[in-house]
Amino acid sequence: MRRLSTLASLLAAAAVIGTTVPAVAQDPVAFTMWTKEGEADGSFQFVQKLAADYTAAHPGVTINVVNKSVENLRTDFLTTSIARQAPELLWTVSDHVGPFTASDTIQSVDELVDLSTFLPNALQSVQLDGKTWGLPVSFGNNLMLYTNTDLMAECPADTGAWIAAAKTATAGGNYGIAYPQTESFWLVPFLGAFGGSVFAEDGSATLDTPAMVSALSFLKDLKFTQGVMPAEADYAVMDGMFKNGVSPVDPNASLAPSATPPPTGVAASVINGDWTAGAYADLFGDKLNICPIPQVTGADFPKPYVAGTYLMFSKDLAGDAAKQAAVLEFAKYATDTPQQLEMVAALKRLPGTNAAFNDPIVTGDALLSKVAAAAAMGVGTPGNLEMRCIFDAMTTGIKSIYTNADADPQGVATQMQTDYSNDANCQ
Amino acid sequence: MFDLNQAFTALSDVAMTLVVLLVLVAALEAFHYVVFVRWRKSRMALPIMFLTPAVLGLLILYVYPLLWELNVSFTKMSIRYFVDPGFLGLDTTKGSIFVGFQNYIDVFTKPVLPQTSFYQLFAQTIVWTAINVFFHVVLGVLLALMLNRRLRGRTLYRALLILPWAIPAVASLQIWRTEYNFQYGAVNQILDLFGVAPIPWLSDPIWNFVAMLITNIWLGVPFMMVLTLGALQSISQDYYEAADLDGASGTQAFRSITVPLLKPILLPAILLGIFLTFNNILVPFFINANNLTSSDILVTALYRAAFSFTRYGFAAAFAFVIFAILLVFTFFYVRKTNVLKGALES
Repeated sequence: MRRLSTLASLLAAAAVIGTTVPAVAQDPVAFTMWTKEGEADGSFQFVQKLAADYTAAHPGVTINVVNKSVENLRTDFLTTSIARQAPELLWTVSDHVGPFTASDTIQSVDELVDLSTFLPNALQSVQLDGKTWGLPVSFGNNLMLYTNTDLMAECPADTGAWIAAAKTATAGGNYGIAYPQTESFWLVPFLGAFGGSVFAEDGSATLDTPAMVSALSFLKDLKFTQGVMPAEADYAVMDGMFKNGVSPVDPNASLAPSATPPPTGVAASVINGDWTAGAYADLFGDKLNICPIPQVTGADFPKPYVAGTYLMFSKDLAGDAAKQAAVLEFAKYATDTPQQLEMVAALKRLPGTNAAFNDPIVTGDALLSKVAAAAAMGVGTPGNLEMRCIFDAMTTGIKSIYTNADADPQGVATQMQTDYSNDANCQ
Repeated sequence: MFDLNQAFTALSDVAMTLVVLLVLVAALEAFHYVVFVRWRKSRMALPIMFLTPAVLGLLILYVYPLLWELNVSFTKMSIRYFVDPGFLGLDTTKGSIFVGFQNYIDVFTKPVLPQTSFYQLFAQTIVWTAINVFFHVVLGVLLALMLNRRLRGRTLYRALLILPWAIPAVASLQIWRTEYNFQYGAVNQILDLFGVAPIPWLSDPIWNFVAMLITNIWLGVPFMMVLTLGALQSISQDYYEAADLDGASGTQAFRSITVPLLKPILLPAILLGIFLTFNNILVPFFINANNLTSSDILVTALYRAAFSFTRYGFAAAFAFVIFAILLVFTFFYVRKTNVLKGALES
């Protein structure tokens, strides 16, 4: 009993001491940035380097850079916002503007920064209700056609030529065309080719339309009739198959987060975004060709969504003036011309500011001129919340087209419209 | 690349949290000692000292979140009403978001997901649970019976059969998902060796459900096997010797001795298996890579309603509906089988 008494006293003393020890002095400023940039194309490493260079020049600032997939970034940001534990800064895509403004979890940037330095076309995708909700880091984010010139020498003039070239490259596990069959972002260009769009002028959703049926029919035909695409492909399969076309095989081909084992086949052409132009250029050298997605025979050129990547500021940041000032300084640094040109050199992406976009490094670069030409075919990505519901509805529909040879495009289009109507967030 | 500084910082944060927790528990115990031992001289002092940290932990980590969730279930908290609901959402920065029992009504009357109703999900969950539990029990008992004999290499077989249970489920499910790939997965490549055409495990509704079943059965059999093996080894051999003397066959001995003596162990295990399978989010979440509605069960639909469609109020109500279903089932199961009879009598 005496020993217990002594032990209890010691424990109590430790508790008292523990609560009266002065708090350790805090770091001057520390904040967290979530980025959708991935490791596979080197963009996450670039963001980390950007942060590291900034903190080296500003010793009082600590930046914690975290990578999240686009979908996880959206859901996790909302979840952490409820708990007031959201990251201070986001480096993400424009279609997050809708859910984040609807949930009032990000703040507008009109009063924070001089927006005249940024590309107006890039700002468009993050403008809602008369306000701007993000700062463009890069412009584009558009899909385009990449070809391995060993397997597909020229940019196809139209889809007829594209399919013909693809057929010669399809054999023994190799395919002429590959792109993710699990994401609706890749459906959008072809909807535009048939004159369709997801919203009417009055803002109502238009998914059950002849244009959508035509687009779905075309894609179903591409897969099941022409037979030039792999049976199943997500983003990592597409990326891996394209990189397999290079000799020697890229050892990083299997590192992209994926639900699949490393693919062993080769894809002669892929539809992918501008975010991977730099990585492909480094890998392929002069064996890479970049083209707009070919014009659909008998229809128009596909119209991919164009936007970019943006810095968005957490709403909670406004309550901490010192931290907000620090985050803002970093954002200005990241979008300043030297850093923008560094991004252009490293990632081969179009910058989001006027000064960088008009710099000879950009205008005189053969690769970037092709990227810009592909971006010129696109249309601005709507940033409203309803776009989230549109993507969700189209994703379910497009998956059924690619997984079922007997799927009825009209039925799928009608179901997409129904799914949109049933989405409680957009009622 | 591995960052030693970042790893050290993360470990330091965890260590600091543990130290704080230890200090708080120590302070609590010291307080209890002073009050219940030295001052009150209570006979219950020791039980109170042991139980208090656990009860506090349960209150903070289970009871409080449950109450908060109940609170949210009466509101329309969602992406458009993304506010702290306060008490029942009566007074928020976006006005009142209180909706009463509307969310509970919507669970049964409106689509839970854009293409799926509650009833479809409920039916899919029942089928999912029934098939899984059936095979868990049958295969688990079978394997336990085999391992309960004199068998060369029995220890090795036991270790190998327990392996699915030992491997972290998330890791094994990631591997299963990759191996179900139509072109590059090991499953189809093995089938190809036997001349079987590749199966679209991840994209076909029926085959995806089968893939989920195969994976979950693989995961769940070891648990049932281990429980049954323990129960078998506690059955006295005298019963079997007596039955043998009386001329009973193996089947008769199994039916009349083994099964009745396994019941006290198996019935609670089956109940636990039903709970775990009914609420199993991991397997459907990972194996249903293409979000096929035919492969959704109640809990995966709940997760998507909450985090993909940001319908927090609705999802909270949905969660309580699922809880109520299991509660009603447990009531009838316990009554019918008297599974808690032994525990209550002791």
